[in-house]
Amino acid sequence: MIAHATLLALLGTPSPAKIPGSYFGMPEQASTIAGDVDWMYDFITWLCIFFFVVIVGAMVYFVFKYRRRAHVADTGGPTHNTPLEVTWTVIPLILVIAIFYIGLKGYVHITTPPANSYEIEVIGQRWFWTFRYPNGAAETNILHVPVGRPVKLTMESDDVIHAMFIPAFRVKQDVVPGRRTELWFEATREGEFDLFCAEYCGTQHSQMIGKVIVYDEDEFEVVIEELARWIDKVPDEKLHLAGALMYNQCSSCHTLDGSDLIGPSFKETHELFKAAGTRQLIDGTTVAVDDDYLQQSILKPLDQIAKGYPSSMPPGIGTQLGDRKLQALVQFIIRLDEVAPDGNLIEVNRQDIVVEEVEAEEAE
Amino acid sequence: MTTIDVTKPMPPEAGRPAEGTNYLNHTTGIKSWLLTMDHKRIGVMYLVSILTSFFLAGIFGLLIRTELIAPGHTIMDADAYNMMFTLHGAIMVFLVIIPSVPASLGNFVLPIMLGAKDVAFPRLNLFSYYLWVTGAIFAVAAIIFGGVDTGWTLYVPYSTTGTEMNGIIFLSMAVFVLGFSSIFTGLNFIVTIHRLRPPGMTWFKMPLFLWAIYATGIIQVMATPVIGITVLLLIVERAFGIGIFDASLGGDPILFQHFFWFYSHPAVYIMILPGMGIISELISVHSHKHIFGYRFIAFSSVAIALFGFIVWGHHMFVSSQSPLMNVLFSAITFSVSIPSAVKIFNWLATLYKGSISLNTPMLYALSFIFLFTIGGLTGLHLGTLATDIHLHDTYFVVAHFHYVMMGGAIIALIGGIHHWWPKITGRMYSEFWGRIACGLVFVGFNVTFFIQFVMGSKGMPRRYWDYTDKYMIYHVISTVGSYIMALGFFITAAYLIHSLFRGRKAPANPWGGRSLEWQCSSPPPAENFPEPPHVGDCYDFSVLEWDEEEQGYHWRHDIPHPVGEA
Repeated sequence: MIAHATLLALLGTPSPAKIPGSYFGMPEQASTIAGDVDWMYDFITWLCIFFFVVIVGAMVYFVFKYRRRAHVADTGGPTHNTPLEVTWTVIPLILVIAIFYIGLKGYVHITTPPANSYEIEVIGQRWFWTFRYPNGAAETNILHVPVGRPVKLTMESDDVIHAMFIPAFRVKQDVVPGRRTELWFEATREGEFDLFCAEYCGTQHSQMIGKVIVYDEDEFEVVIEELARWIDKVPDEKLHLAGALMYNQCSSCHTLDGSDLIGPSFKETHELFKAAGTRQLIDGTTVAVDDDYLQQSILKPLDQIAKGYPSSMPPGIGTQLGDRKLQALVQFIIRLDEVAPDGNLIEVNRQDIVVEEVEAEEAE
Repeated sequence: MTTIDVTKPMPPEAGRPAEGTNYLNHTTGIKSWLLTMDHKRIGVMYLVSILTSFFLAGIFGLLIRTELIAPGHTIMDADAYNMMFTLHGAIMVFLVIIPSVPASLGNFVLPIMLGAKDVAFPRLNLFSYYLWVTGAIFAVAAIIFGGVDTGWTLYVPYSTTGTEMNGIIFLSMAVFVLGFSSIFTGLNFIVTIHRLRPPGMTWFKMPLFLWAIYATGIIQVMATPVIGITVLLLIVERAFGIGIFDASLGGDPILFQHFFWFYSHPAVYIMILPGMGIISELISVHSHKHIFGYRFIAFSSVAIALFGFIVWGHHMFVSSQSPLMNVLFSAITFSVSIPSAVKIFNWLATLYKGSISLNTPMLYALSFIFLFTIGGLTGLHLGTLATDIHLHDTYFVVAHFHYVMMGGAIIALIGGIHHWWPKITGRMYSEFWGRIACGLVFVGFNVTFFIQFVMGSKGMPRRYWDYTDKYMIYHVISTVGSYIMALGFFITAAYLIHSLFRGRKAPANPWGGRSLEWQCSSPPPAENFPEPPHVGDCYDFSVLEWDEEEQGYHWRHDIPHPVGEA
């Protein structure tokens, strides 16, 4: 560390974001444990390189030195040597016990969340993550966390097994139906980091990815406060635009341009609504595509499965939205021709559709 | 039993049938193959079937690599990709690697190495071949009727309630039936080794290949029933929802993982131990040097087989298994690395002061040491709890198990095929093209998989159809490597097939092998030996000498030949 600091000082002003990382390809470090994990990773890798060089070096040397010159038998080397056998059994044994021990120490640290951790609930569903904060805020696929404060994720799955994996933090934990699993970390720097699902979960497994955004403590409070309340500050006539902001929760199964994914395209549903049409269901009945149908399809998706589509939408998606967000999604589909005129979403910014409540209350 | 007159020189042709008939031509017609009880013919049928499956699953592998050459949709959609990696894994594991060495080369060589006429239960042997065929038909049915996209690990609840593809039922049936094929083969070999060793061949005079096959047989018989029960439960769970694995019915999805890995980790040793057995033979024969540390290599096979049963939990470090279990499994996992290291060191010591020939089988054996060393050492990163948490389910794991499964088991199989090809077919292949192809496979393999260690440690998760741009360069390199490797395998297929028709006739003992299969003609006669041969030290090469005319080795004239005059 000291040598590294000296080196950085000699080389000029270091970027403050740069932290000494692994020699062997580990990604950027952004949590308190990352440095320890990388140290172990590098230590084991050096050990591997040592043994690899010894083994392959000896092999290449012997092959060269004792290559066959004539069709003769060997030159009479030994056929056994018990002290040698004991040596090359005991030395690796001592080394692996050492590796086990340092791995164990690191592991205990990694799996023991500090008592004062900030708790966030996580729900894994095909194929997105929902993060719920103590103040009622919820967000899809983006995990907002404060820097320098331990964060504990309590995770549940609504369908199959998923796994929360944040490479920059060196943490991973399966999210298993019927169990609550935990994972903790303490971010050491602000910024955006990858978040992956690491347990195969089906068609869109590789799209079940998101971001961790790390803020300083004050900014974090502002962000989750805003997250909890922004939907209440959207006036009714702009709810469809709020729906556009939420569409990323739906996008892995429902397109806007009429093409089919797992579920019917919103464009088709929108056109049926406009034409006051009906939709054929899997049980042979038909249903009118109206306001009520749209609401029920989000809240109880398994009750009315459109013909030709699998019954795979998790019921939890709708029920956790809350009434206002549900209305926003319904309005989004009803007014799809305004928010996605050519199958592509228009650009919507949260600031533009939110009316500050303070002013509204004062006006009353 | 006749005694051998040690004072009388034996002709080199001893044990060779005079009229030139052998196991390939003593009877003809398709029925004489399909209903054969000759272990050699069954071995050849297995070899052809397994290599066909290897070709198919290899094509799937190339399609996977091609899809991944760029992010997003390249040549197939996500569902097709998910099917591809499932089939690649399932076929490679259940139809290729698990049966590969024991059922093909083991079947061919094991009885001859014992000087026996056949395995202990020839009918059971043929039956296990047809069970393999039945399993293969079920696997094909899985592709045709509904497809399967669960990954070869078949994890619940994805495989029970998560996937729409009904081929999972057929694939489970395939795994069940193939399991019995594997059990019967293992059982057959265990009994054969116990009962049919020739006079004089004590346990510690057996070729090490037989020790490896024996240790493998123990695992096959003891572990395989568990996967049979597991896939039956999976089928019942999917069809009727009995709730043993379903959390909402009081079951536990993690229980499935315990069942699955209780078999599938020992299965790793079913795959690698026979390969190690081949390498022990190849290193010794092609160095013309007595194997070093015979007993340590033999016991390390048994140690690996036993330790292999109690490390399965290391596949589940992030599954929500209890931390105490994780710690215990991590500790035991490290213990299994020791016998593997012991083998590597003994092979190196065998090379010391040998007379090393760099022909194709030996190049594969040396490739094995190189690749298996990398595969074994990177296991340390994964056995260590703190580092495994980051590396689990990333490409680091994919690279690791390909170095062990392919760089180990498959490379040993290909090396063994080249080693015993003259014995099996009676023909020599092109040594020149053999070396070229081995070089291409070796280079291609490393380009394909070494970069995946880097990709994995940088966080690229496995089983991803799409990925973020920053991983693209690694995927491109890996894909290019897979094409190089494929070229090597196509050349191999070409010169091996060519050798069947145009190859030089093989001498009885082209490499100077000392074990009994090299003391009968190439190809061997239908009954292997006219009478039980005499057994000596199967790693003492001083009794052989080179015959320029025959381009092979024969028994020195002043030393009695192990196969008595009929």
